[in-house]
Amino acid sequence: MVDLKELQDKAKEVISRDDVRRLIGWQRGTYGFESAPIVVTDASDADKLIFDPTCVQNPASFITLEEKRPVPRGQEPDTRKVAVMVKGCDSRAIVQQLVEKAYPRENMIVMGMPCRGVIDRRKAAALFGDVTPDEVKLDGDKVVVSLNSETKELARGDILADKCMRCRYPNPLVSDELMTEEVEKWGADEFADVDEFEKMSPADKWKFWEEQFSKCIRCYSCRNVCPMCYCVECVVAKLKPQWTRRSTDISENAAYHVQRAWHLSGRCIECMECQRVCPVDIPIMTLNRKMTRDVKEMFDYEPGVDVEAEPLLACYNPQDPEDYIM
Amino acid sequence: MGDYKFAKDKLAEVLSSLGDYQVFAPTPAGDVVRFLEVKDPAAVTLESANSTVPPKELMFPETETLFKYRLGDTGLDPSVPDASARRLVFGIRPCDAMAYTIVDNLFSWDFTDPYYLNRRENTTLVGFACGDPCANCFCPSMGGAPASEKGLDALMFDLGDTFYVKTLTDKGDAFAKAAGLDAAGDAESKAAEKQAEEALGKVKRSIDTAGIPEKLPSLYDHPFWEQFSDRCLSCGICTFLCPTCHCFDIQDEAEAFNARRARMWDTCMFAEYTVHTSGHNPRPTRKERTRNRISHKYSYFPEKFDVIACVGCGRCINNCPVNIDLLDILEKSKQAEGKEAKTA
Amino acid sequence: MMDESNPYLPYIVKVEDAWYETPVGDRAVKTFKVTFEDEKVWDTWSHRPGNCAMVGRLGIGESMFCISSSPTEEGYLRFSIMQAGKVTSAIHEVDAGDTLTVRGPLGNSFPMEEWEGKNIVSIGGGIGQAPLRPVINYVRANKDKYGDLKVLYGARTSDLHCFKTEFDEYSGEGTACHLAIDVEEEGWPHFVGFVPDLLMEVAPSPENTIAVTCGPPILIKFVTQNLEKLGFTPDQIYTTLEERMKCGIGKCGRCNVGSMYVCKDGPVFSYETLKKIPEAFA
Repeated sequence: MVDLKELQDKAKEVISRDDVRRLIGWQRGTYGFESAPIVVTDASDADKLIFDPTCVQNPASFITLEEKRPVPRGQEPDTRKVAVMVKGCDSRAIVQQLVEKAYPRENMIVMGMPCRGVIDRRKAAALFGDVTPDEVKLDGDKVVVSLNSETKELARGDILADKCMRCRYPNPLVSDELMTEEVEKWGADEFADVDEFEKMSPADKWKFWEEQFSKCIRCYSCRNVCPMCYCVECVVAKLKPQWTRRSTDISENAAYHVQRAWHLSGRCIECMECQRVCPVDIPIMTLNRKMTRDVKEMFDYEPGVDVEAEPLLACYNPQDPEDYIM
Repeated sequence: MGDYKFAKDKLAEVLSSLGDYQVFAPTPAGDVVRFLEVKDPAAVTLESANSTVPPKELMFPETETLFKYRLGDTGLDPSVPDASARRLVFGIRPCDAMAYTIVDNLFSWDFTDPYYLNRRENTTLVGFACGDPCANCFCPSMGGAPASEKGLDALMFDLGDTFYVKTLTDKGDAFAKAAGLDAAGDAESKAAEKQAEEALGKVKRSIDTAGIPEKLPSLYDHPFWEQFSDRCLSCGICTFLCPTCHCFDIQDEAEAFNARRARMWDTCMFAEYTVHTSGHNPRPTRKERTRNRISHKYSYFPEKFDVIACVGCGRCINNCPVNIDLLDILEKSKQAEGKEAKTA
Repeated sequence: MMDESNPYLPYIVKVEDAWYETPVGDRAVKTFKVTFEDEKVWDTWSHRPGNCAMVGRLGIGESMFCISSSPTEEGYLRFSIMQAGKVTSAIHEVDAGDTLTVRGPLGNSFPMEEWEGKNIVSIGGGIGQAPLRPVINYVRANKDKYGDLKVLYGARTSDLHCFKTEFDEYSGEGTACHLAIDVEEEGWPHFVGFVPDLLMEVAPSPENTIAVTCGPPILIKFVTQNLEKLGFTPDQIYTTLEERMKCGIGKCGRCNVGSMYVCKDGPVFSYETLKKIPEAFA
């Protein structure tokens, strides 16, 4: 259990350092079970930081979202560090970003937040409706929601995100300091969801995806929230040549999702944010989970776990399954 | 203009009797609800608060063909919707109908856009009053109401076992006739009035927009924008789900020799939206784009058309993955100290 | 005006003639002299200096360009287009005998009537001369309605000047032409230096004068500063803005600078108007 005051004091300390430029964490949202990422640049804002089961967003996404502004003439670039609070799953993004050399390790101060689960807002809405709780916390095996001076206890599986029930890495895999004690792993993940989906016939699978991709409005929220999607020019934005059209028909929508799944294979760290943010409920992670499992089986590789690892598609092992370089 | 009613369990029957129209109504699409063409009247649901994707797509589809042609030829075959077709949107919420009246201004500004305007002309709007506004609804602050009649041809109320329907225009009367609705009496209209009043009282969030359009330009250089833009994902959720957002891209597409010029939704939140061929981007970061979006809806649009481009439907708030809350931004803009923006 | 009922439908135009203004290569400028495939369009067509049009190729797309010919040049339209990206590269492939599409006239225009009786100073740089050419030719064709005409025009090198063959026409009673290049060139007899410096050298009087300028943003910035130094007030200074455009008719939303849509409230803006828009100076 994190002591909020301690956490905020620690954050104050970090952001007050001369060599730290910004600190990324979570703050209370404006309604319901929402939380919002916050970029703290001044110690006075450190009081806004929180850490509880509502902190669903992945702060690692905001490291790569920050734009590099041109440095005005006569000024030096600001090379101060960025501090970031990360849960277990979030930390895998930092590991993978380091593996891909997105930024030097010395530039980051990673504040590790061992986590026992975050809530699924849709489950919460189904259980509680349009309300704003006073507090949400984990107590042993239960999730405790305080609302109008009443508390309700729920089984973790009833309100936590599905990904949390099979979490493989509740403790951050990279950190400069842990903000609370490590937690014991509780779940196991045999990729049962992928197995289940694979039982469908090809015809049924296509019918499923045709229905799902037809809903897509190409808001690209899935891509933008993904901590691993940080290409300066995304292939779907290219016009010369245009690989994927902007029209929102089944052909282009399917192409976009399949393209993204391919570009993430061996890189997706399963934070599941893409699926959470989708406004039309496309089960995007079904594709990425399939790629993750296949990568594990074919190459015995898991992204976002070992900072010393090589990126999967940028290294070669004589034991790789293919006969040839392809 | 009259008062009508029909029993709730006759909903599918009423929809079936509208064979003369191409009918769109809220239909489940997975976990969300969307305004789709009614193929199976029994699938239509009026239980949901509102669709995630607004019915703006019925007037301004996400992708539509402007004209077709063959590569090598110069003949153009426009795909303009038929103004005399008969379409009907059943169960549209008052906020979304009011949104049409706002966007009408833009699509008829000097140049008339026949794609949008013909659809507006050929469509009958049967609205559905909100008995239970949602947590993030704020339509009264934007000139609307849970039972607002703006832009509607008819307005339905859920009175428990019955739907009460008040027709507001000739088109509305034509709908009531085609649907074979029974006449309603005082009891129903009074109950609807009561529901409308109670619903108004249930709206929890509000913003006083007085002065905002004039104030926003003075906040151009204010750092408060960064509070929000720092976490913006620069995606299209707020804009695509907004019933008054109307921006689009135009692209030529060709498959062998068959080609078309199409338009599709675009968003000022994407970085590529304003990028010049030279590579220069006047809005290179999320700060500029967030500031532009809010300024456009709450200052630039009202400057041109005397109405704020927002209906208080709350979709942007409900669906923003990082909880950028429009009302929070507007409140902070009222508190921030404005000044003469730095010009040349 | 194009099809009143559908402003998205372009006219088909025939290219009567096409030639390069600057050496062939990346960012070359090519001029297209076009006329409508359907001659009857001329009966209803009218445009003013400053108006633009969406020029394009079917299958590729359109981009917004100023109509580089004055309405006093009858029977054709001219566009001078710099090769920069997808659409302009496709347009550059086109030559005399081919077709293009034109959608217009679009945008606002220079207030030529308001300027009657005044002296006109045109200050252009590089491809920025394209929207100034119709103003110059309009004034020359209506000499008795305007005062003196001064044309100041600079380019990086002498072969990058556009409309070279027309410079000789900018001379005579009440008309003067001042050319410049950025760096010394053997055989170059005129001013050497940037356009804002040429402006201070020529030092036109602001008395009853309108200054129109167009070129790269940095040129516009320093020319405007220098005009103010010379005593010009913001309402005497006009320029054109550009942004990425798609519909050209004020609907797709993307070309706004503050509350002004460049395709519709512009592209012509007085400096007095621009001063009030923070985004114009970002």
